[in-house]
Amino acid sequence: MRQRNRSIIAAGAVLALSLFGGCASLGVQPWERDLLAQRSMRLDGDPVTAALDEHIYFSKEASTGGAGFGGGGCGCN
Amino acid sequence: MAATDRTYRSIRGALSAACALAGVGGVATSRATDVETAILGYAEPNRVSALETVLQARHDFGSGYLGNFKVVYDALTGASASGAVPGAAVQTFTRPSGRGSYSTAPGETPLDDTFRDARVAVSGGLTLPLGRLSTATAGLYGSGEHDYTSMGANASIARDFDRRNRTLNAGVSFSRDTVTPEGGRPIPFASMTPVGADLPRLAGDGSKNVADAMLGLVQVIDRATLVQLTYSLSRVTGYQTDPYKLVSVVDPTSGAPVDQLFENRPDARTKHILFGRAKRQLPHGVVDLSYRFMTDDWGIVSHTLELRDRLELGGDKYLQPHVRFYHQSAADFYARWLLDGAALPDHATADYRLGAFDGWTFGLEHGRNVGRDHRVTARVEYYRQSGDGHPAGAPGDLASFDLFPVVDAWIFQLGYSFGS
Repeated sequence: MRQRNRSIIAAGAVLALSLFGGCASLGVQPWERDLLAQRSMRLDGDPVTAALDEHIYFSKEASTGGAGFGGGGCGCN
Repeated sequence: MAATDRTYRSIRGALSAACALAGVGGVATSRATDVETAILGYAEPNRVSALETVLQARHDFGSGYLGNFKVVYDALTGASASGAVPGAAVQTFTRPSGRGSYSTAPGETPLDDTFRDARVAVSGGLTLPLGRLSTATAGLYGSGEHDYTSMGANASIARDFDRRNRTLNAGVSFSRDTVTPEGGRPIPFASMTPVGADLPRLAGDGSKNVADAMLGLVQVIDRATLVQLTYSLSRVTGYQTDPYKLVSVVDPTSGAPVDQLFENRPDARTKHILFGRAKRQLPHGVVDLSYRFMTDDWGIVSHTLELRDRLELGGDKYLQPHVRFYHQSAADFYARWLLDGAALPDHATADYRLGAFDGWTFGLEHGRNVGRDHRVTARVEYYRQSGDGHPAGAPGDLASFDLFPVVDAWIFQLGYSFGS
């Protein structure tokens, strides 16, 4: 299991690096951002709901974070 | 819990700033200040219920300087599974404080109905430009409830590349949490004592340090598509035992509980998290798909798959169905029961949240504009956790009891915001 986990993490790292370093055809010109500029496309478009969900799942599951940091804790019972 | 909110929002702030610079998120503000408020109700039938209110404000000071402030108040009450197994006879448990007791009917999962708490969390942060393509964000966080406090700080940077089509983020955070449980911290594996008897306690408060590091990437794929990839490393050291949770010691033949021990968890945990997300604008609206993989040195592996599909209804209204699937494996030291006469393990917990289970969420959100730059939202969600209620090897009576009853929860939320 640990070996498989390391493999998944390595695959993710390779994917990120390839996206970062290559693929020059990705992206748009500044005048092509009309759709991307819409509020519904923002990655932080609804931070309050995202934080409330994070609070709920933190208290009910053993995993936290991901989009940002995982974190410490609360006295959630 | 608050530490999560704190760090989560921190990097969101960094991402927001990065996206603003990149034009990725199109944060073209028409006002200097955004304010978002929400009230959320959470209810598990016959168990916990909670009410949470949030006020968040973000202000654009101009020239790339952004500030944010957030205050959260929540109140919780109800019952929570103690970890003890059901019994064939009525069971009586001493409350964690050592004062008073509660009883559980035969065959029923023991629920400690003591919980009643309120929490206040306050956080703030500032984002500032570092040249034309980079930003830095720093924030502080603090929260308190009657038996738990958390204080933390975080910092992150973001830089744009390739015509602002690519943004790289990096951040760190640190927090220190202190738990001061009702009645003090039980000595690990100490037996629950009768009401009024002295329970052996550890000296002082329990504290833990949480250090996180994160590396993230946001990439514009095409005119309608964004992807986000993030790797997070989290290291927690210190007191992580839940002082209110029990592990039952049962007779190897009859399965009858013969003792109730306070649980004991390792004092260090390292987590690795990979997160990927894609958002794509389609003719009907925006599809938001994400996947998270988590593994830690407690032996837990989890997968989270989440989909939101926003359906634009015209007239600045939308409907957004939401589906989330979560699966986790059990911690190495998870034990639904311990056998009488067997040697104690180094660590053990019967907290179902460290067991293996699946979680499903189904939700629906509606939002609409009410006047210029004012929005209201309403959502309802149903969350269901299910695990193996009849694990192999359950001795005696335990084989006939449901040892992982389904947990249902309903979530209701109303939101109001104004600004960009």
